[in-house]
Amino acid sequence: MSQAGRVRGAAAPGIPAWMLGAAGVATLLVLLELIPRLGLIDPRFLPPASEILAALAESASTAVFWAALWHTVLTWAIGLAISLVAGVVLGVVIGMIPFLREFTASTIEFLRPVPSVALIPVAVLLLGTGMASTLLLVVYASFWQVLIQVLAGVQDVDPIASDTARSYRFRTLTRIRTVVWPTTLPYAMTGLRLAAAVALILTVTGELLISFDGIGGLLAIARESGAVASMYAYVIVAGMLGVVVNILARWTERRALFWHPSVRLEVMV
Amino acid sequence: MRKSLSLAAVALASALALTACGTSSEEPSTDEGASDTTELTPVTVGVIPIVDVAPIYLGVEEGFFEEQGLDVTLELAQGGAAIVPAVVSGEYEFGFSNVTSLLLATYNDVPLKAVAAGVFSTGTDPDFGGVAVLDDSDIESPADLAGRTVAVNTLNNIGDSTIRYAVEQDGGDPSDIDFVEMGFPDMPAALAAGQVDAAWILEPHLTRALLPGARVVSWNYVETDPDLMIAAYFTSQDFASSNPDVVEGFVAALQASFELASSDPAVVADILDTYTDIDPEVKDAMTLPRFESEFSEDTVALLADLALQYGLVDEEIDYSALLP
Repeated sequence: MSQAGRVRGAAAPGIPAWMLGAAGVATLLVLLELIPRLGLIDPRFLPPASEILAALAESASTAVFWAALWHTVLTWAIGLAISLVAGVVLGVVIGMIPFLREFTASTIEFLRPVPSVALIPVAVLLLGTGMASTLLLVVYASFWQVLIQVLAGVQDVDPIASDTARSYRFRTLTRIRTVVWPTTLPYAMTGLRLAAAVALILTVTGELLISFDGIGGLLAIARESGAVASMYAYVIVAGMLGVVVNILARWTERRALFWHPSVRLEVMV
Repeated sequence: MRKSLSLAAVALASALALTACGTSSEEPSTDEGASDTTELTPVTVGVIPIVDVAPIYLGVEEGFFEEQGLDVTLELAQGGAAIVPAVVSGEYEFGFSNVTSLLLATYNDVPLKAVAAGVFSTGTDPDFGGVAVLDDSDIESPADLAGRTVAVNTLNNIGDSTIRYAVEQDGGDPSDIDFVEMGFPDMPAALAAGQVDAAWILEPHLTRALLPGARVVSWNYVETDPDLMIAAYFTSQDFASSNPDVVEGFVAALQASFELASSDPAVVADILDTYTDIDPEVKDAMTLPRFESEFSEDTVALLADLALQYGLVDEEIDYSALLP
């Protein structure tokens, strides 16, 4: 987790990181323009970047697009919030009680790798084809990211600090606040960052496969209609959402962990 | 504790989602309808974003359903896999599905009841779906499909059973076709790239495939039966028996919708823009299905026979409960 901060400083000397990033995107766009134009891939199935961007611009001028974008962001935010609260609360509780930890360990390891999309039939039967089904997928996938991190964080608490707190007869809540939480928070933040990305992926997947809402829904309709340029345009939108989500998560992480060595180091470099 | 982890997540998710849905603008009809002078019954219909359901969109826009006292909400869903469970669980009152899927569901004791026809084959050349090959292919007639790779959107469904029948009618060996599963949108590309020898494609993708140099070797629906009913609107048996008035009104409104749709292709083209993203060029070139609400029991019998003949089911399907 702390390495991520240091790597950022490793950009080529003299060139700001954002400029390199922009150049990377520009190269990708040029490639996407050339490959279909040179006939390497049939432009019917991969239109040139200029056509995709034109479709994007056209779509972005409609109210339907912004309503869909809002729907996607809302579903993502609700799903992430549920995962975060549930993951942190359950993680702290399970992590602090050795009996619970051992009792749940194998179950968690069993449930965690179950792919969220495998739950689609259950979700549709139980919750129908609306936002609720998508949320089920989102929460199932991102909850584990938070839980596992928080569990690791709780286990990383310095036993001496923990014992000291117990000797001084700290109440449980005080112990959580003063001893457990400061150690767990960086882990929880990593969980948040992982969960934020996973939640977005599952939000778009759910919209694409179940509810036909949001950006995923527009993508599905474009696909069903054979509107190839629009389809790729929505793929780009989903990608851009991912970038924004990642920036937001990092920003939150830095704000929440301003005191933590990993973040302080990042500022110094 | 084992279960409570995931259960808690599920409970939280559903609780929040329910509140979210309750305030969303998607379903404003329930309460507002009641305060109107004429009380409308809210009805949700699960449909697929394809050309076939254009009439019902038209009917909603033209107010045909309101005239029957129904406030219809159309929910887009990904095919029968999502629509059938939603209708059975009562989330949707009605749904749209192809007839073979309905027969297979009935065979598996899913209590469905068809209420009206959805779409028919045009009965002639061109139809709204057919088996396409590249121009330079040596496949010339349905019989030549034997021993070849043919893409269908769902294995063991209406596509492969009608293709097998068309091949058999033409003197080919229907057991010797290698069907592969692939989404309709992907088929034009797979065909062009030579991944399959032939592809069973429905509109608008058939036109996308045909525009640059492919041809149709089998209008499999038409060759199966010129009057083949491809899809139908259905409900659950529970809903049908407890709400006969709603079903009757729904069917009457559908009938008006079908009449308008079949009398004026231009309004169909316009309504398509409201729920699909079809390129205008493709839209002008593509073939619309025949829209007619009169339910064809002959088709049900024929497709049930084909399902048994080609091993989709092990024994005869008792579809009496499915019929409207």
